[in-house]
Amino acid sequence: MKKGLLYLMGVLVFLVLAACTANESTGTENKNGEGEKAGDEKILQLNNGEEPTSFDPAIGFDNVSWNALNNLMEGLTRLDEDHTPQPAVAEEWDVSEDGTTYTFYLREDANWSNGDPVVAEDFIFAWERLLNPKTGSSAGFLGYFIKGGEAFNSGEGSTDDLGITAVNEKTLEVELENPTGFFLHVLTNPAFFPVNHQVAADNSEWHAEAESFVGNGPFQLESWEHDNEMMFTKNDAYWDADSVNLDGVHWAMVNDTNTEYQMFERGELDSAEIPAELSDQLIDGDNVQVVDQGGLEFFRFNVTEEPFQNKNIRKAFALAVDQENITEYVVKNKVKPAYGYISPGFTNPSGEDFRDVNGDLVSFDPEEAKQLLEKGMEEEGYDELPTVTLSYNTSDLNKEVAEAIQGMFSENIGVDVELENTEWNVFLEDQKALNHQLSRSSFLYDYADPVNFLESFITGSYMNRTGWSNEQYDQLIANAKSEADEGKRWEYMYEAEKLLAEEVPLFPVRYYNQVEVLQEGVTKILRHPVGYLDLKYADKQ
Amino acid sequence: MLRYIGKRLLMMVITLWVIVTLTFILMVTIPGSPFNSERGTNEAVQANLEAHYNLDKPYIVQYVLYLKSIVTFDFGPSIKQPSQTVNEMLGRGFPISFELGIITIIVAVLSGVTLGVFAALKHNQIIDYVAMGFAVLGISIPNFVLATLLIQQLAVNIEWFPVARWLSPAHMILPVTALATGPMAIIARLTRSTMLEVLTQDYIKMARAKGLAPWKIICKHALRNALMPVVTIMGTLLAGILTGTFVIEKIFAVPGMGKYFVESINQRDYPVIMGTTVFYSAFLIVMLFLVDIAYGILDPRIKLHKKGGRE
Repeated sequence: MKKGLLYLMGVLVFLVLAACTANESTGTENKNGEGEKAGDEKILQLNNGEEPTSFDPAIGFDNVSWNALNNLMEGLTRLDEDHTPQPAVAEEWDVSEDGTTYTFYLREDANWSNGDPVVAEDFIFAWERLLNPKTGSSAGFLGYFIKGGEAFNSGEGSTDDLGITAVNEKTLEVELENPTGFFLHVLTNPAFFPVNHQVAADNSEWHAEAESFVGNGPFQLESWEHDNEMMFTKNDAYWDADSVNLDGVHWAMVNDTNTEYQMFERGELDSAEIPAELSDQLIDGDNVQVVDQGGLEFFRFNVTEEPFQNKNIRKAFALAVDQENITEYVVKNKVKPAYGYISPGFTNPSGEDFRDVNGDLVSFDPEEAKQLLEKGMEEEGYDELPTVTLSYNTSDLNKEVAEAIQGMFSENIGVDVELENTEWNVFLEDQKALNHQLSRSSFLYDYADPVNFLESFITGSYMNRTGWSNEQYDQLIANAKSEADEGKRWEYMYEAEKLLAEEVPLFPVRYYNQVEVLQEGVTKILRHPVGYLDLKYADKQ
Repeated sequence: MLRYIGKRLLMMVITLWVIVTLTFILMVTIPGSPFNSERGTNEAVQANLEAHYNLDKPYIVQYVLYLKSIVTFDFGPSIKQPSQTVNEMLGRGFPISFELGIITIIVAVLSGVTLGVFAALKHNQIIDYVAMGFAVLGISIPNFVLATLLIQQLAVNIEWFPVARWLSPAHMILPVTALATGPMAIIARLTRSTMLEVLTQDYIKMARAKGLAPWKIICKHALRNALMPVVTIMGTLLAGILTGTFVIEKIFAVPGMGKYFVESINQRDYPVIMGTTVFYSAFLIVMLFLVDIAYGILDPRIKLHKKGGRE
């Protein structure tokens, strides 16, 4: 009897094993197939994390879209290795003396992947779409530099009032609201990419599938399996195809940093982020690339709530935070502590860095913090400080930073704050409605000019969310946005930042960076401080 | 039987309606909006967007529109990825999640029952202890821990399997193992205990006395009865496996439905929330119904309808 049973079990086990072995061998064959293909050609294997939101330049206003879009398409200008704008579709341009009219001359050999030439009309079509309130683009504000842009986007103007005209097929004239010294920078943003207007007229969903996608960048979209993978191949019709080293790029969509790193270890990816737990181990490795990202992690005071209506109390809290401790032991990954609001990397016309000129404005000083707190409490007549709650949007890292700051407040100024966290969308609603007292915030630049950040804190700005309002500050920003003389414009911005540091409606914690570990032989993956990725010059040995 | 099925179908529709209504109420009560962004958009743009997705209408109108979309099974485009419709997302993600789920169930049931029967037959012997020790481990280790462990050991350290993604049968082994271990362990323990009970029954002794072949006794007489409790918990296990796929799909980058389910809520992508919730609920309700039917077929003593039997 027992023998029969054993026999039965044996058969079952054998069946299961057989099934597994069969699967395994199929897997190996498949892998070999892939391996051979990668051997012949230079295919870079990257991970996009998730599905791009949209390849419609007006809609895909986020990193998951830009990673791909910036390599499939190209605007009038393109950032180079030093993150400065260089001629791209525009071969050259003239700027009027008052700095408000730009005339762009498009390349004769700039073509779409379907063979059509890239013409001025393509830009006009794309930009009108970007600004049309019916499009629902969240990048619309970038077009406000263009004359009539804000009015049209607010539903008050029409396309006729927009300052963009096609002088002829290959010449585009752009009128601006104000002289905007960094306009060529703004134009590198994917929101300003052209759209083949003839293709779009036939099929408004041209950007939704690989078959119908028409681009003008260094790569073309070979295949796109939604939520799974994308394949790019080199675009031989690209005007600068000779500079492109890769034969293609394969994009996986793996939305888990640990899995991503494990795939990297296994050689299935050429680049990976460094998971937080492995930072200490990996950050000093040979193939680690660390690049600055323009941006700031900071905390907003709500100046309409006690006790932060008082400037000295705000300042006391700001000076009680040891930024270096946070970057060194909490965030890690070689991020830099922020002693000012504007991140390093913005250079004025004479080549000096904004940060160097203005220096450290908010540095850790527990002694002064204590004195300021006492002074502030006296001014307000407090015997005891009202309860303070520090809010942040739920994430592991935000929690660690908040706890570190909680400890610093307790240790340095003897204040025990409570912590509170909510999901991002709820958090943002509360922050906008000024329901927080002290809340975590972050800012990432859209274009390379300090005014991008500074103008957030003018009276009534959507980005303000502190309740803070200062006439002098508003005036400085207005000047910084309209001044034709670049030297003077920078002076206004220096002054504005100093005023922020004086009034402290917010305090800085750290700047951002972009860290990745690369496979040996992978070079020139450009990550710009404004957040987009460029693979035009990338190479793989 | 038909009458029973008819009644159950009606109950299923009502259940689904309750789920839809609750989902809608939750959706409109959570703060936030799909158009919330760090940067903010112009009021005119915001108004246009809201009008386009009918979010400017009174709640009752929105509710009716949702009900309509469910009846016609057309949930419209996603708000976050406007060039994709919810139906496309479901059509793409569901077959993959289903594949993962079905393979997991088959593996869990086959291996769980085998392990359980084996342990029962070798009661209090070394094999029994090993099998049950294995089962206890399987129940105690959460699937996402097991998943990470499997990847590190079997895919990175010894390169037997691919790390992640869903391309070939070899890619299925690790996620299926991670997902099936828990249910397998539960099934194994259950099978073992009921099997032990059944094996001492008089009719088994009778069958032995009649000199039936041992495998016939196990398979035909013992196992059939021992499996009843397993079928009973299938409904719960199914729900567990379906929700388990959310995490496993993320870790193994399986392009299934779990991601839409979770992310749509974070992004307040209302049509996707509605679409995935309705779809998942409907699927689960139908599966539970099938389990009940199977129950009746396996055990003739259970009457699915009140009439028909002797009263």
